[in-house]
Amino acid sequence: MCRFTATRTVTVANPDGLHLRAATMIADLVRRHRAEVKVVKGSDRVNATDVLQVISLATFAGEELLLEATGENAEAVLDMLAELFANQFCND
Amino acid sequence: MKFADFVNTKAIRADLTATEKEGVVREMVQSLLDAGGIKKDEFESIVKAILKREELGSTGIGRGVAVPHTKHPSVDQLAGTVAVSHSGVDFESLDGEKVYLFFLLISPPDRPGDHLRALENISRQLRDDTFCRFLKQSKTAEEIKLLLDEADNNQFGS
Repeated sequence: MCRFTATRTVTVANPDGLHLRAATMIADLVRRHRAEVKVVKGSDRVNATDVLQVISLATFAGEELLLEATGENAEAVLDMLAELFANQFCND
Repeated sequence: MKFADFVNTKAIRADLTATEKEGVVREMVQSLLDAGGIKKDEFESIVKAILKREELGSTGIGRGVAVPHTKHPSVDQLAGTVAVSHSGVDFESLDGEKVYLFFLLISPPDRPGDHLRALENISRQLRDDTFCRFLKQSKTAEEIKLLLDEADNNQFGS
């Protein structure tokens, strides 16, 4: 079966950084769309649906993350995730 | 940041008696009050703020862990405590499982970085199954304190 992989660099814009609620929103979105997404920061690469692992990245305002999505809807899921980051997770 | 930097060791509880969310929050905030970590007249305000945050989405993040928290102007440094429930509590967790380990955090509103660093420490240590298992099996606050000390000394986790 053909597997699509797409990547996107996003910046954490909300002043409080990537907090627990933001990580939960990411996990919810990825789960809802049955996508496979990894969140990469430096040498750390974690599963986007695992909130515990995503918050272990301790990402502060202004820092960048790389998102790697796999699956037929990879681009669409990345679009939605990028929007979440751009909207500062619904205004923090 | 280490556990010793934000966990009030006098407020650790190895034997939570509450069986639902609000009860757990009240019991943990009370333990911080008893330990002198918060002011008495701020108790209700802190409990309400934590429960309001829970309404935005549960802080039960899976693997039997919850991190109820809030920002609150009455604290000038991060105030936290740890509690274990041996019977488990329905905390409306993301994975639908009961919660056994609770890390409660109250942060000064102007110090979001400290909150993120505390979350980082908690989550990194909890990635270690041995640490998680020992913590869940703890029978006394002293045992929990020793485990946190060991974690601070890099004896667990990644």
